[in-house]
Amino acid sequence: MPTEEKTSYSYLEAIGAALAHELDNNDDFFLIGEDVGAFGGPFKVTKGFLEKYGPRRIIDSPIAETGMAGLAAGAALAGLRPMVEFQFADFISCAFDPIINTIARHHWRTGDAMPIVLRAPFGGRLRAGPTHSQSMETYFAHVPGLKIVMPGTAEDAAGLLIASIRDNNPVMFFENKYLYRRLSAQGSPSFEPIELGKANVVREGTDITVVTYSAGVHQAVEAAEELAKDGISVEVVDLRTIKPLDIETVAASVKKTSRAVVLHEAAEFMGMGAEIAAEIQKEAFWYLDQPVERIAAKNTPTPTSPPLEDAVIPQQPEITETIRKVAKA
Amino acid sequence: MATRKRTSTAPEKDSTKPSTLAPPVEKNLSAEVLAALDITDTSMNPPASLEGRDHELLKKLYDGVVKARAFEDRMHSMYRAGDLLGSYYSGNWHEAISVGTMAAMEERDYYCPLHRDVGGHLMRGMPPEQIMGSFMGKSIAPTGGRDGTLHYGRLDLNTYNPPSHIPANYPVATGMAFAAKYRGEDRVAVAICGDGSTSRADFHESVNIAGAMQLPAVFQVQNNQIAMGTKLSMQTNSGSFVIKAAAYGIPGIKCDGTDVIAVYDAMKEAIDRARSGGGPTIVEAVTMRMHGHAEHDGAEYVDPALKEEWGKRDPVELYEKRLIEAGVISEEEAAETREAARKWAIAARKIAITAPMPDPTNIEEGVYAD
Repeated sequence: MPTEEKTSYSYLEAIGAALAHELDNNDDFFLIGEDVGAFGGPFKVTKGFLEKYGPRRIIDSPIAETGMAGLAAGAALAGLRPMVEFQFADFISCAFDPIINTIARHHWRTGDAMPIVLRAPFGGRLRAGPTHSQSMETYFAHVPGLKIVMPGTAEDAAGLLIASIRDNNPVMFFENKYLYRRLSAQGSPSFEPIELGKANVVREGTDITVVTYSAGVHQAVEAAEELAKDGISVEVVDLRTIKPLDIETVAASVKKTSRAVVLHEAAEFMGMGAEIAAEIQKEAFWYLDQPVERIAAKNTPTPTSPPLEDAVIPQQPEITETIRKVAKA
Repeated sequence: MATRKRTSTAPEKDSTKPSTLAPPVEKNLSAEVLAALDITDTSMNPPASLEGRDHELLKKLYDGVVKARAFEDRMHSMYRAGDLLGSYYSGNWHEAISVGTMAAMEERDYYCPLHRDVGGHLMRGMPPEQIMGSFMGKSIAPTGGRDGTLHYGRLDLNTYNPPSHIPANYPVATGMAFAAKYRGEDRVAVAICGDGSTSRADFHESVNIAGAMQLPAVFQVQNNQIAMGTKLSMQTNSGSFVIKAAAYGIPGIKCDGTDVIAVYDAMKEAIDRARSGGGPTIVEAVTMRMHGHAEHDGAEYVDPALKEEWGKRDPVELYEKRLIEAGVISEEEAAETREAARKWAIAARKIAITAPMPDPTNIEEGVYAD
């Protein structure tokens, strides 16, 4: 957590600070997960939490993802605000059943609120191989009743997390573990909640729109700066929330630029790019000068070895050149 | 890279070498494990004595099993009459378990039952026409027709409506028990599943978590000899479900599920222990499934001898006979109670049948809570 002397904070510190802020202010809010206590979580997001909040609120779970997610459902129905931390997003597969069948549809079936946050570090670039590098958002985007939040900046991380904790619905909060210690922001985190379901135009431009989220935001901005040297003006839209999807902001941007590329780290087939491209064509077809292009991971599992992983996950030259190609076509 | 070929990793067989299998490891159980083996089996005992029992409770149990049976009878006839959308999951021979369990609970306790627990739901206050409506897709069903059949709990009655993935109610009950402990509330969560459910991760993970956290939960297994078409011997080699408690370091009680008093006693002991901070218990109640898995299933695969043997142990008839013999109720009172229950179930059917179907215009609303 940031100390008073610090003038900047990381994406990871923003998440830790938001958790502490809510733990301080709401006794109904608790955190359960594998090794979140004495160990401080696999990435040390909750370092020091056990000492500060005690074992009543910071709970080391047995290795039981199904049991934990189901426990959260029962606790939420009994009036608490549970947060489940999954060590790696890859392990959420073990809790697929309670998330889909117990948690996601309970409100629609009964009218009872199900305020749960399921937090998980996801994504590649850490050379962690096919079962520690997955992007899970589209597995769950298909399920009615879930909200899916994927912050891309240290500035957004705390506000989106606080909004997720205070939401009366189940929220899946995917943290890009590559960004944890690589991103920083000035000052200290703001605890003002950021409305879920609202995209953010992080860079304005007039020639082409890049729709992206999570780590893709930084790749898109870097490409935009590179292309600006050639006189190509790129607008970057950070979705922030995958579901609900803010197609209004995306469509407004595309109506302005007439061209669009969707960029994400998950595999291309049936990925968010497919949905967003279809929505753009529904909302802004007559404004488009070119077909919507997708930049995404290859349709393979994520490999371990650096040259192999780099060949699968979108890299900067490919991103820049694809945007240039669509902008100039 | 060339396509890799699949190669066998099996070593060449060399019959001249001795077996490398290690000799069996001696099973040394620690003193803690031995001390934790707290298993009681009353399932083969003669019927629990009525002596010294509170007559109010005995009559409450009788009223419960009679109403449950009347409801079951009505649902069987409604299925045959084509009143229901799909099938019906009969609770015949489970009445004593449901009713004994609910009688041992307080109203504030959480009830997370499964499909053969109509008796418990009725006792908790679920209107019978709402349960019928759930099997008919009617607007009066607790989910208003969005979900159906056996998925009919109500949070305002502290009852949970489980999804189809049994025993998905087990982890939920663990969470409710967790919340009670977290807030220092005097509440216990009771979760119920069948013998087949014990093979799933939900069962193991929940009971294990509840044991590790010493949560105020009771996990009941209704052993009715068969899970759809899979008999016990194919479900597990453990033979009994109560002994699984030992592996989680919690107590277990096995009782006769056709004896409502025996079920009440077992559940009361487990619930009292949970309420006083003694942690969870597994209660196994043994009965027989006298109908198919659901009404569309003729259950030809069931050993007729098994059905004949258990057929003599009707939990409602047996209990009624005992109450009359002990002078708790008269034959006339019994006949009146049964007739009143029959009329009550018929009246509920009328309400359910005349209730409107739900309005589809708002189907996209309510996916998210405000």
